[in-house]
Amino acid sequence: MTMTTTDLVPAPADQPQVTVLTDRCAGCQECVIRCPAGALSMDSARWVAVADSDLCVGCRQCVRTCPFSAITVEGPMAVAERTEPVATEPPARSTSEIRPGFASWDEALTEANRCLSCPDPTCVRGCPAHNDIPSFIKAIREGDLGKAHEVLRNTTVMPDVCSRVCDQSAQCEGSCTWSLAGGMPVSIGKLERFVADNAPVPPPAAAVPDDPAGELSVAVVGSGPAGIGAAWRLIEAGASVTVYERDETPGGLIDWGIPDFTLPKSVAHRPWDQLTAAGVDLRCGVDVTPGDVDHLLSTHDAVILANGAPVPIRPPVPGADLDGVTDATSFLKDGKAALRDAGALDLFRAAYGLSVADLGAIEQLDPAAPQVLVLGAGNTAMDVARTARRLGLRAVCVDWVAEQFAIARPDELAEARHEGIEVRFLRTLARLDGSDGRVQRATLTLTRQDRGDKRPEPLSGQTETVQADLVVMAMGYRNDAAFAPVLPGTPRRREAPSGTPDRRWLASGILANPGPEFAHHKPVGKLAMGREVGLRAAMLPYQDRVWAAGDSVVGPSTVVEAMTQGKLAAAAVIGARPSRARRANPTRVLIAYESRSGRTAEAAQIIARGLRPTGAVVRAVPLGQVDISDLSETDLLVLGTWVEGMVVTKVAPAKATQKWLASLPRLAGLRTAVFCTYGVSPKGALDTVRSQLAERGVEILTQDAFGPRKWDIEVGAAKFGARLIELAWTR
Amino acid sequence: MPASISPAQAGRDQTDTPPVATLQAHDPVPITLQLRPPHRSGIEERFAPSDPQRTWDLTRNPRIARLLKDRRLQFMLILPNQIIFWTVILVGLVGTAIPGLNFGTAITWYVWFCLVFVLMVVVGRAWCVMCPFGGFGEWIQRRTFWRRTQKALGLGLKFPEPLARFGFLLPVGTFLLLTWIEEFFNIAGPGTPSDTSWMVVGIVSSALLFFLVFERRTFCRYLCPLTSLIGSVGSMGSVAGFRTKDRDVCLSCQTKDCMRGGEEGFGCPWYTWPGSADSNLYCGLCTECYKSCPSDNIGLYLQKPLTSVVQPTRRRADVAWAIALLWGLVLYQQLNALGWYATMDNWLNTHMAFPHYPNPVAYLGMIFAIAGITAGLAWLVSRAFGRKNLTFVSSGRFLDKQSQFRAFFLPIAYGMIPVVGADYFARQLPKFFQHAPRVATAVQHMVGAGGTTASTLYKVRLLSDPRIIGVQVGVIAAGTLAALWSTWKISKRELVPVSRGSVAVRAAAMTIVLAAGVLAAVLYVMMNAAD
Repeated sequence: MTMTTTDLVPAPADQPQVTVLTDRCAGCQECVIRCPAGALSMDSARWVAVADSDLCVGCRQCVRTCPFSAITVEGPMAVAERTEPVATEPPARSTSEIRPGFASWDEALTEANRCLSCPDPTCVRGCPAHNDIPSFIKAIREGDLGKAHEVLRNTTVMPDVCSRVCDQSAQCEGSCTWSLAGGMPVSIGKLERFVADNAPVPPPAAAVPDDPAGELSVAVVGSGPAGIGAAWRLIEAGASVTVYERDETPGGLIDWGIPDFTLPKSVAHRPWDQLTAAGVDLRCGVDVTPGDVDHLLSTHDAVILANGAPVPIRPPVPGADLDGVTDATSFLKDGKAALRDAGALDLFRAAYGLSVADLGAIEQLDPAAPQVLVLGAGNTAMDVARTARRLGLRAVCVDWVAEQFAIARPDELAEARHEGIEVRFLRTLARLDGSDGRVQRATLTLTRQDRGDKRPEPLSGQTETVQADLVVMAMGYRNDAAFAPVLPGTPRRREAPSGTPDRRWLASGILANPGPEFAHHKPVGKLAMGREVGLRAAMLPYQDRVWAAGDSVVGPSTVVEAMTQGKLAAAAVIGARPSRARRANPTRVLIAYESRSGRTAEAAQIIARGLRPTGAVVRAVPLGQVDISDLSETDLLVLGTWVEGMVVTKVAPAKATQKWLASLPRLAGLRTAVFCTYGVSPKGALDTVRSQLAERGVEILTQDAFGPRKWDIEVGAAKFGARLIELAWTR
Repeated sequence: MPASISPAQAGRDQTDTPPVATLQAHDPVPITLQLRPPHRSGIEERFAPSDPQRTWDLTRNPRIARLLKDRRLQFMLILPNQIIFWTVILVGLVGTAIPGLNFGTAITWYVWFCLVFVLMVVVGRAWCVMCPFGGFGEWIQRRTFWRRTQKALGLGLKFPEPLARFGFLLPVGTFLLLTWIEEFFNIAGPGTPSDTSWMVVGIVSSALLFFLVFERRTFCRYLCPLTSLIGSVGSMGSVAGFRTKDRDVCLSCQTKDCMRGGEEGFGCPWYTWPGSADSNLYCGLCTECYKSCPSDNIGLYLQKPLTSVVQPTRRRADVAWAIALLWGLVLYQQLNALGWYATMDNWLNTHMAFPHYPNPVAYLGMIFAIAGITAGLAWLVSRAFGRKNLTFVSSGRFLDKQSQFRAFFLPIAYGMIPVVGADYFARQLPKFFQHAPRVATAVQHMVGAGGTTASTLYKVRLLSDPRIIGVQVGVIAAGTLAALWSTWKISKRELVPVSRGSVAVRAAAMTIVLAAGVLAAVLYVMMNAAD
């Protein structure tokens, strides 16, 4: 008989050392099932986890996922150094792409081999599109770029764009297990770019013949990332897609908002080249107003509003109306054009009243060149400043946040400074002054900010003045207020919902490190969970047959987030199959119930049995198991609840039901029926449910209360089902 | 379709319907999960002996289920004790100096301590669920009396691993310290009432400090002076605690809400997972796991008495040593009533210039000596009967080491739990029988409704001295019988496979237990004679 025990032989000092605290290891195996290296197993006799330090790579996934903090890992991470492509020193005024990708297979493979293929890949949760990162990296390791594209196309239609413009440090790379452990993550963005640069991005897949979605006609308003995502998903399903774009060229932000030196023109235009070739009806120069939505609904089965957040935020300061004060959108459009051809450069000179030298005429930055004051230090502000720099102008960016809480990509900030752009944090604009109606200088007030989640505070009396021959506002955008009646409740805040975080996310360990160093201490887990709010909001209609995606839902966001929302909104449209011609009979019925004694559950089952002969797919699900995605693909919702309280106490729907109702988003036009079961009297319980549902815009077909006896419930539920068929199904 | 159907059952039933193509089905995250399958090998053999019978689940009763789901339940259990103990503190400080008339001392030493023993022997950690010390700290830590909150107050640190690895030995240490302080100041005598107040204030303060520095119930698990006693003696109890209904459901659970905390409940404050609990050792009966389980897969189970002593297959070295030390302490408390001890204590104090009883060297020396003798007897058994061809990997940390000695000592120590528990209980009986009615007098005195040392109730004794000795010996006899039965069962399963002579080793183990029981009983008789 041999008895063995664990972690007996200390690992060498240069190797990770795993210690399982057997006192409180409960043997739940959360670490065992997630260990990428297979270094953890179970001791069956004691039912505790045991570790093999020889196999451990030090990623600390186990530490982050153990619910009882019963495991520690000390020592270094056993991973090769991150491969950084060698950057060639770009000429400051170059308009060619400045960030290099991997130049060779060797570089790409070396980096790909750093990926652990985690069983619970936190990078996937960190990616707004939820790209299957381990799988596409595995495909690279296998040398199969086609397969890598195949993996990526499940979740993204713009790997070439996203790999260039995403802030990976706050998304996938910030959530990489190496990053969460305090190390350097796998260079996911550059690997994605390697795939996109070395094998053509596949065009939209051909639709399956006779797909019911082929009958759909969908209008997409806006051709930016959200519009691209939506159009791509719809055209692949065979739907007729008409895209309305206000500008003369498609692409929205990726067309006009991102300079060529970050996103080359050929890459930016690729999605629309492929979409139009696939049959998307693109109509540029058409400005859709809120009043046009009804018209679109009369000519299309569904409308997806992907018109972005186009209104620039203007600081309410004296002098903001002086000449020489403009917004980032105008400047980027004009500046980008000016850098492309000399004719546009003349127009730029005339429009902005600045003496800009001919392109190529200036090698070194002229200290006497006009100075552009850029308000903001986010990514847009960096693009503005760097564009100005390429036009031979000096640029100063100011932002009221502290540098450690800056929202710009860290690499972009470094590049901007390298190009000679001055970036001043902890300053806010107090006033603009000028002469002859033209701005000349700005007065800045210093600010203080100790925490990222708190607004910076201006320090009274502490000011400075800066020369400003041109002021560009790059402080962000907001939604067009005119669309508010069409999209009630937008924008949705991209903040992780309060309350208990989704425990599947908690279990993955992405929330365990509140701010990895690589992510510049940004809370990658919370940010990722916050993005889920927008993704889910895109699945639900805002009005009958009207969905929204992108910045119009969540306010200014990222390309990848908007694209994913567009795809999800399109998927919701495909699932809902709305029709402008007739209201279809329900084909998917969801009976959501809250039951305690089992009576409400039984009533739900009786109603379900009654509805099934209609041919609809009927599901009866406890409320706690109902996901928003269930609601988005439901034609008829039946909500049942038990009633708590007695005669003398407050009679009301079950607390769980009330909590669930309070958490509901808008469910515009969703046909709904409500029932409750009671012991003594339902009193106003049904009215309470009804009013809460009405606030969500649902259409209530009928309501009823069953009780108090078991027999009453059975008979009542059967009659309720029959009545519902009469109301919701046309014969 | 059954006539009535539980919500959870109904929820499972619906999964039989054809799946609808939902957006969730296209959620890329689950597709990318490549979790390793959980280890299931040997799980049946590992847990079958200690799993309670499925039908002994109290939550099958809808009323009990509803009660246990109610977030206010634990608050309502803690509140009365909270009121009593703050009253104890207050009255102890400002009330009468006569211990028998002071509510603080009377309720604490005549009734409470005895009641706690009854609770632990019958239920297990029943006291823990209503404990005002832990409860107070937990209210502050959670920033609520009963609601499920998300943000904790305090630092939320993890208890340092180098200390945590000693498990039960830390609280045994605090128990020994507290008992020494109590003996030194004659707090439980009871002596000066304010001493009792300061002791309670000390416990509450240290509990609060730990709740504010560390996460969950670190104090209760690692420091509380009573936790080792309640945990070990409580394993005799008939409440198995909250356990899984279906272990497969727990193993495949993706969220582990019972450990991490869910919508309706906190993660287990005691670091216990119902999916692997094989005894009631660390189940604080707080109901949080029951509230938080999203699969309705946890029940509150009853078990036959002594099940948690006999059936767990994992024997813990810290528990075994804790039992030996607790045995040393209770025997010390019996021995120090004998005349020769006072002589020895005085002699030591004189030579060490220590003010008075109890001399710390004598105190700790005797406790460790008794624990050592107990362990030594187990070692002798291991040497005499242990099979020679066994190999044990002796390196590793305290809890993980294995040896021939441990293969015998651990089961024998567990077998002694009933006799140790009985001895502690018997120790409390004289105060209860002689003075419990004084609590009523103390209450009268406290509220100004009379109550003096001349009151009838003050002088009433529930039982006279010779009868108390009889009851004490009877309790020890019952405990010894329970210990013999436990040792018989344990030794068959755990000692026989590692021994050469199966009958002889079982006889040897039971002899140790029997000797312990006889010693305790004889000492009670001798104590009475000494009085």
